[in-house]
Amino acid sequence: MTLLEKINHVRDQFKTDLERISDLKSWEELKNTYLGRKGLVSKLFSRIEDVPPQDRKTIGQALNSLKNELQNQVDSLRQALQEKVDESREVDYTLPGFPIFKGSRHPLTQAIDEMLSIFARLGFDIAYGPEVETDWYNFSSLNLPLNHPARDMQDTFYVDEGIMLRTHTSPVQTRYMTQHKPPVRIVAPGRVYRNEAISARSYCMFHQIEGLYVDKNVTFADLRGTLELFSKMYFGSDARIKFRTSYFPFTEPSAEVDVSCFLCNGKGCRVCKNTGWLEILGCGMVDPNVFKAVGYDPEEVSGYAFGLGVDRSVMQKLDIPDIRMLFDNDVEFLKQF
Amino acid sequence: MKVDLNWLQDYVDIDRPLEEIRDLLTEAGLECQIVESGPKVPESVIVGEVLSVENHPNADNLSVCFVNTGEPEPVQIVCGAPNVAAGQKVPVATVGTSLTPEFTLKKAKLRGVISNGMICAEDELGLSEDHSGIMVLDESCEIGKSLNNYLPQTVILDIDLTANRPDCMSHIGVAREVAALTGKPLKIPEITLQETGPDIHSLAQVDVLAADGCPRYTARVIQNVNIGPSPDWLKRRIEAIGLRPVNNVVDASNYVLHETGHPLHTFDYDKLAGHRIVVRYAEEGETFETLDHKERTLSRNVLLICDGKKPVAMAGVMGGLDSEISEDTVNVLIESAYFDPPTIRKGSKQQLLSTDSSKRFERGTDPNANCVYAQNRLASLILELAGGSCAKGMIDVYPKKIEPLSITMRFDRLKKITSLDISPKTCRTIFESLDISVLSMDDQTIHVLAPTFRPDLEREIDLIEEIIRIYGLNKIQANSRLQFSMPETVDSMNPFLNRIREIFMGFGFHEAISNSLVSQDMAKAGIWGYEPVRLMNPLSVDMNFLRTDLIQPLLHDLKLNAARKRQHVRLFEIGRVMEKDPSSETTVREHQNLGVIMCSDMWELHWLQSPAPADFFYGKGMLMRLLDNLGITNISLKTTDFNPNAYHIFMNIMSGKTQIGKIGEYDPEFLNKYQLEYPVVILELKLDEIFKRRKEVFKYKSVSPYPSMTRDISIVVDKNMESETLMKEIYQKGSKFLKDVVVYDQFMDDRKLTPGKKALSYRLWFQSDNRTLEDQDVDRIMEKIFNILIRKYGAQLR
Ligand SMILES: [Zn+2]
Repeated sequence: MTLLEKINHVRDQFKTDLERISDLKSWEELKNTYLGRKGLVSKLFSRIEDVPPQDRKTIGQALNSLKNELQNQVDSLRQALQEKVDESREVDYTLPGFPIFKGSRHPLTQAIDEMLSIFARLGFDIAYGPEVETDWYNFSSLNLPLNHPARDMQDTFYVDEGIMLRTHTSPVQTRYMTQHKPPVRIVAPGRVYRNEAISARSYCMFHQIEGLYVDKNVTFADLRGTLELFSKMYFGSDARIKFRTSYFPFTEPSAEVDVSCFLCNGKGCRVCKNTGWLEILGCGMVDPNVFKAVGYDPEEVSGYAFGLGVDRSVMQKLDIPDIRMLFDNDVEFLKQF
Repeated sequence: MKVDLNWLQDYVDIDRPLEEIRDLLTEAGLECQIVESGPKVPESVIVGEVLSVENHPNADNLSVCFVNTGEPEPVQIVCGAPNVAAGQKVPVATVGTSLTPEFTLKKAKLRGVISNGMICAEDELGLSEDHSGIMVLDESCEIGKSLNNYLPQTVILDIDLTANRPDCMSHIGVAREVAALTGKPLKIPEITLQETGPDIHSLAQVDVLAADGCPRYTARVIQNVNIGPSPDWLKRRIEAIGLRPVNNVVDASNYVLHETGHPLHTFDYDKLAGHRIVVRYAEEGETFETLDHKERTLSRNVLLICDGKKPVAMAGVMGGLDSEISEDTVNVLIESAYFDPPTIRKGSKQQLLSTDSSKRFERGTDPNANCVYAQNRLASLILELAGGSCAKGMIDVYPKKIEPLSITMRFDRLKKITSLDISPKTCRTIFESLDISVLSMDDQTIHVLAPTFRPDLEREIDLIEEIIRIYGLNKIQANSRLQFSMPETVDSMNPFLNRIREIFMGFGFHEAISNSLVSQDMAKAGIWGYEPVRLMNPLSVDMNFLRTDLIQPLLHDLKLNAARKRQHVRLFEIGRVMEKDPSSETTVREHQNLGVIMCSDMWELHWLQSPAPADFFYGKGMLMRLLDNLGITNISLKTTDFNPNAYHIFMNIMSGKTQIGKIGEYDPEFLNKYQLEYPVVILELKLDEIFKRRKEVFKYKSVSPYPSMTRDISIVVDKNMESETLMKEIYQKGSKFLKDVVVYDQFMDDRKLTPGKKALSYRLWFQSDNRTLEDQDVDRIMEKIFNILIRKYGAQLR
């Protein structure tokens, strides 16, 4: 028998054997017999050395196609058998499925992202600034000159004389305005730092989103409109807001904004300490001195700015009792979100 | 700031519910809370009405009373008080009440008669020492209600003041706001001061040698005072705002401070050497012992009040021990001054000493009317409380008068900021209610004089804020048609970062946010070798540097998780790391990085597969998948000599010649140290570099409709032959038909192979875009591949 004849013979024999296979065990035997390391096909391959060189190519091709053909048939048979086995309930389908690891995004970046995307819908671009700032951007340009008592409102970490960790995202305002002409419509997310003792309520680092809109004829009514819209989008259509006069050196008039409590809808509960309101952000009309610092003419343009503390509002929304949990990175905590 | 409601009502009438006042003040910028304090008794002490009183059958000094406590049946109570009478409303401690921790009232038989409770005297309720008889309540008290409803309560408005409103750090200041907000007049007490003593100038002398730090200094002297305790009304008011009564002169001084907001200082006149006051700056290194018994070494910028010889007070901050008012004080010198705010602030900062007084001077007090009013008010109050006589006249060193600012507000500007049409008349009313005098007005502008007690009013915008906060900030309606303007650019960084976050979430990682403040050790261990940035004023020594990489904080997180026995820690973080850079404006260079740490199995414990640790190659796989998803190719890993930690594997990730990241695995010893179960794999990427190289748009490439063919090859090569080199060669010889190559086996076994060799198996996929490949096509290519591997790399086929 020539090798070629043997090849055809093996093929025929395989077809016959194939018919008889009815379970996975005999399938395994069939596979080993033909395609195993010492199987029939391997044996044929090993005899190729005996073939005269001029025929090797033809034989080689024939062998390769035999191998592929057999492999395909064995594979499809396995599938068919498996399906039969499955049907006969040999597999317990109540066994758990393959464990895919859970991944999660940090609750803070989720919230920041949701807020940014709301402001994106309102036409705000995103701006960034450094976390280490100069005195000029962090304080002086924001109408907080040296020896201003309001500097005490923000306990500051210094890295050098006149160089500090930013205490708020507001320096992004003046950085951006020094580089762009009005109109300006941006939000700036980021980490900020305060030199305060760490406790359940306060941490040395937290997150803010700063907003700034400067154009001709921007009024407090535009600010209120934007924040009302934001509140409805973020807290739900029922959300109402109210303003309280406050003081920030870089805005005037300045205000704190409260939103009706999302949990009790203003009736009073534990989260809102029975006031029905939650403090969400500080805002105001950009102070003329800030415009002067960046070379804008306060007679020509007006604008509003706001700064929103993300961490506190996430804690309220998710009922997280201790701010330190946000930065411990315990996987049992993180996997919940 | 605590404001006693009762006290506040001396200056303004309040005829609305207190909650309304609270809300008005809060909306106008004085955020306040109502706090009630006062005596409390157990809730079960209730109001009863004595229906009848009869003599006790067995005891002359006892009586048997029937009391209506609101129950259907009257209660029988035996009472020993002489003043009990039918018709009285009285406090009744019902059975079960604990009047003291040791004494709980029970149903009892007193000399044979049952008593179901107790009618109480004030001392029995802990309300006073009075045991003369039972407490008789007002007719209007409701039967059955808890007595607590009728006990006198102190109501405090606790105000969280902003730094710009020093004028409201007083009862009169807050009353002025209430008056303006409710339209009531402000009533300031008139002072009639009897000056019966000798001329002040014959008694004392004031020299101000530092007029820049002390623009005004006034003094009065009161002789022959009787130091003693303050009357009850004064004690009550002082206590209500949380101060401790001391004596009549000190209490009067505190009272006037909290009434007017102007800090005053009282000296024992006889302890002032030469009866002189000298105001000057300290000499460098001069020492002075303040009231808090601290010996202070001063620098030149500290302003001092001295007598003829020595310092007696740190001006506006704290007095000294020697000249304090004591029980033996006979003559008093009152100081009421105006100190320059920055001067006081510098001195207080330099001495790390902040007091109620320094806070007021720092923020700005009134150099004019209030400074003098407070002086006269205190003098008259001391006369009233401690007797004595007031010297004639007041020393007033005020060389350069501080004039009130005149400011103009344009009505159209008011509208431009607030969007509201507020009439000129309304503006005038608001200004006048705040004691801002209107000089002139027309339909365009209003011209006012900002009082000197309002240092926050300097500009037009300050006046606009006054108008809107009194008019009502919430009267500004939301603009329902918002302005919108074209942004110059559209940010693509945030979507990029979010894409990375989503990818890692898909890899089964949790996003971490770690503290940027780390210890020196952590900062120095950074994988980039950056020079770390130190904080000048850290919170603690384990947070005195800025992080120089993300791996150290993540490692810190890993240790916390390990200590809590968490399984499978897989964390990533996107954040900034800092490097010292003198050429930067901020002296710091910030890098936005992605950090990844993994200490886990490849999958959780499961019946389908036995556990297998996720090692370096798992990490490398994620890295390549991430970069591929971002369209970044041609990445190579290079070993590095720089190995700052105990890394077992540590490699630079290169894109061309640029290093874009590092990947590694910790030495197994590290696992033991922290009792970790799995290898610790780390990865950190420079996102600024990744961002520059990313592909956002993946264009269509034609997809072949023809079937592919596979071939396997197994070769044996030298152990140190890099698989990647062979792979590149295979690709090169593989022609356009070679679509993919995978290494599917690798082993080194000196028993099965020649020593120094390793075996590698590859599977190759071939496909043509325009026809079905024939075996011979692929065979030809395979032969070329074999040849090059054998010839160039000494490979042997297996
Ligand atoms: Zn609530």
